[in-house]
Amino acid sequence: MEYVIIVIGAVLIKNILLAEYLGCCPFMGTSKKMNTAVGMGLAVIFVLTAATAVTYPIHHHIFTRFGLEYLQTITFILVIAALVQFVEMFLKKAIPALYQSLGIFLPLITTNCAVLGVAILCIRRDYSFIESIVFAFSSAAGFTLALVLLAGIRERLIISDVPKPLQGTAIGLITGGLMALAFFGFSGVDGSLNALVQQ
Amino acid sequence: MLITTTVFLLLLGMVAGIALAIASRVFYVWEDPTVLEITDALPGANCGGCGFAGCSAAAAAIAEGQAPCDMCVAGGFEVTRAIGKIMGQAVGEKEPEIAMTTCNFGLYEADSIYSYNGASDCNAAVMLYGGSKLCPIGCIGLGSCVKVCQFGAVAIGDDMLPVFNPERCVACGACVEACPKDIISLTSATIRIIGEYTTEECTAPCQRSCPTGIDIPGYIREVQNGNFEEGIRIIKEKCPLPLICGRICPAPCELACRRNLVDDAVGINSLKRFLADYEMTTGKYVNPYKCVDSGHKTAVIGGGAEGLTVAYYLARLGHQPTIFEAKPKLGGILRYVISEDRIPPGVLDHEIEGILEMGVEAQTSKTMGLDFTLGSLFDDGYDTIIVTTGGFDSRKILRPGGGVAAHVPDTFLMLDFLALETLGKPVEVGEHVVIVDSGKMALDVARSCRRLGAKKVTIVSNRSIDELPEELAERDALSAEGIDVRSSTVIAALEGVSDSLTRAVFEEHRPRDNEPVQSETIEVDTIIVASGRLPELVFTSVANEEQPDSNQEACLWQTVDIFRTLPRGGDNGVFSTPEKGRVSDSSAVVKSILSGRRIVRGIQMCFSGEPITPVAHLAAETDDILTVTEVQQVDVSERQNAPIRVAEAGTENNWGQSEAIPGLDESASRREAERCLACGLICYKKAM
Repeated sequence: MEYVIIVIGAVLIKNILLAEYLGCCPFMGTSKKMNTAVGMGLAVIFVLTAATAVTYPIHHHIFTRFGLEYLQTITFILVIAALVQFVEMFLKKAIPALYQSLGIFLPLITTNCAVLGVAILCIRRDYSFIESIVFAFSSAAGFTLALVLLAGIRERLIISDVPKPLQGTAIGLITGGLMALAFFGFSGVDGSLNALVQQ
Repeated sequence: MLITTTVFLLLLGMVAGIALAIASRVFYVWEDPTVLEITDALPGANCGGCGFAGCSAAAAAIAEGQAPCDMCVAGGFEVTRAIGKIMGQAVGEKEPEIAMTTCNFGLYEADSIYSYNGASDCNAAVMLYGGSKLCPIGCIGLGSCVKVCQFGAVAIGDDMLPVFNPERCVACGACVEACPKDIISLTSATIRIIGEYTTEECTAPCQRSCPTGIDIPGYIREVQNGNFEEGIRIIKEKCPLPLICGRICPAPCELACRRNLVDDAVGINSLKRFLADYEMTTGKYVNPYKCVDSGHKTAVIGGGAEGLTVAYYLARLGHQPTIFEAKPKLGGILRYVISEDRIPPGVLDHEIEGILEMGVEAQTSKTMGLDFTLGSLFDDGYDTIIVTTGGFDSRKILRPGGGVAAHVPDTFLMLDFLALETLGKPVEVGEHVVIVDSGKMALDVARSCRRLGAKKVTIVSNRSIDELPEELAERDALSAEGIDVRSSTVIAALEGVSDSLTRAVFEEHRPRDNEPVQSETIEVDTIIVASGRLPELVFTSVANEEQPDSNQEACLWQTVDIFRTLPRGGDNGVFSTPEKGRVSDSSAVVKSILSGRRIVRGIQMCFSGEPITPVAHLAAETDDILTVTEVQQVDVSERQNAPIRVAEAGTENNWGQSEAIPGLDESASRREAERCLACGLICYKKAM
């Protein structure tokens, strides 16, 4: 049941884009077209899950053991960047088809704040390894959901009569803000769910 | 703490670095460096105009040799040259293309069936009865083309019509794909020269009725704007003889002019003459973009209106033409038949000079059959020979020194054959003689041929067996005599070596239909035809497949059926009669120009390896085209006419160097151009 609460919490209530405000640059940059948004979303799911799976053991087996917690941020950035490079090479060799479809998005995510943010959140919230993986995956799913929703809206915005000063990124940001407001409607759902579980 | 941090990060960096180094070896994928180089050279717009999924896919195709170096439509010549350098190939400059629509009346001017107030996109608007305009091929004007253009080359103007910027347009074709009305097309001077108007584009009544299809509203608009050179350029895309046409054209366009419904037709031809005279007074020729040499060398037999047209457009397309003219000067009927009052020799000379300047060679006082033959032309390196002896030499057969020499090797008119036999100097016939005729005379000739030594005679008729005369219908008796009769058959093409005929392609006769029919190639030595005129033929050399090295000795040739480009097909036999569309109608100069232009279309398709097919949905050939039968809100205005000079009494045709009918001056021309209603299919300029 905790997993369900983690998933619902990460996807809807504390959506990494709309509630935590992490990863806003691809949210604007890759939401103009549905195809790009879907490709970016899949790449984020892939990288976020893998990055958390690598950073978690580093924190719990190296940092806590040697008292190096203060190196968390810089190490995670380095590790995630190396990991993405490695994954890119691996995909190119092993699964060229997947590389072709995710290829141009992978370098974009290398230093994405959403990836680093989720890895650090997992540590802060004291999740177990499995919980971390579930949290990372569902955060990325939440990212993808928000991105695809915005792409759908922006594709329609293109043919709408938008006032000239607001065209392009401006209307995109306004739309993103309205989406965030809408997602606030989910806040408190996790509390009720917790209460339900405890009963 | 500092030391721990440094050591830890150093270690981490080393571990990551070594792991990545090993990984890059383990997971190494070989990539063609030329692909990367070409990808860098390409513009990276990923417009898809080349037909590949993005620039890297195109680069891979170029590197593998599956696509030409000039396939990038977006980058222009600079990119082509860069790619050519990487690939080590020489590249030629490509003719610029640009996207265009034919719609000229915007949303507020055109008749509409409802007023649209929905999503601002053509695709959305088109869902409601195909858009708000009454005209089915009218521009919606909501700019779907503007949104897809990667190069900022399209904008919607104040009149709600797309404006294409030729400086920026790279002809990637994105807007062509995006337009829900399918009214954007890529166009270039070549496409316009060999093109014909179809029902899918907007044409004015005058444009459709012009035999050669000059963009009449286009050049009249340029007269209004004062861009006279641009006007001349528009005319020359369809008619290389504007000085001549402006003087002697019967102007069927003026009969079709919508102004006739109000007052008098616009003086379309006088305006053409004004532009042509303007060009003549500037002394500089306005010539369209010329393609690079294609490597073809062509010979045009006959320097009349048709031959000049063919040569001009062949030169324009880079096919290096040479005109061979039997008379001492070029011009044909224009020079030797039409009165000097109507075409002063100076005007004609100026017109011909302009055609020669385009890159046309001319050899005068050279008669085919006397001074040169088909074989000698092929030996001189010409790969295509076009016979355009048109209106003048209606029989196209010459008799030097009592014998008979034909343009078409080993082909004789039945009349000559019989006359020479009577004279006691019979034609030497080969082993297999083919007689193209349906009459009783065919049998007499067939028997003569047998007497003269032919082993086999075949009578070919396009009629069915039931329509043949009784004598020819008795096949069994005739085949005993060595005479074969083939009904419902035509000769569709000829093949030969140097100056002799070797084979003919027999096809089932089909009067109109352009579907392929069964054909059979048969060895033939002599052909005798009954019809009074031989068709205009185009001979092209073919590679000798059996003995590729023997081309030096004798050239193999075959005829090209350029008449397949004719609308409504015409008859499919090369020897069928003029009524069946096998010979050009030379009743007016503009009709000769049309046939010249169509011959060039056939040759261009033949050179580019496309099958020669007729144009579908031709606007000039259908009555099923949208038009209007009455006009409203058009003010009456008087036609500007040039005064006709009358010879004074007592003098004999005495206007010296000047012409019988002078042209309009500039102010009169502009006034006349203002009368134009700038018609489209159903739109026309209404008074406010």
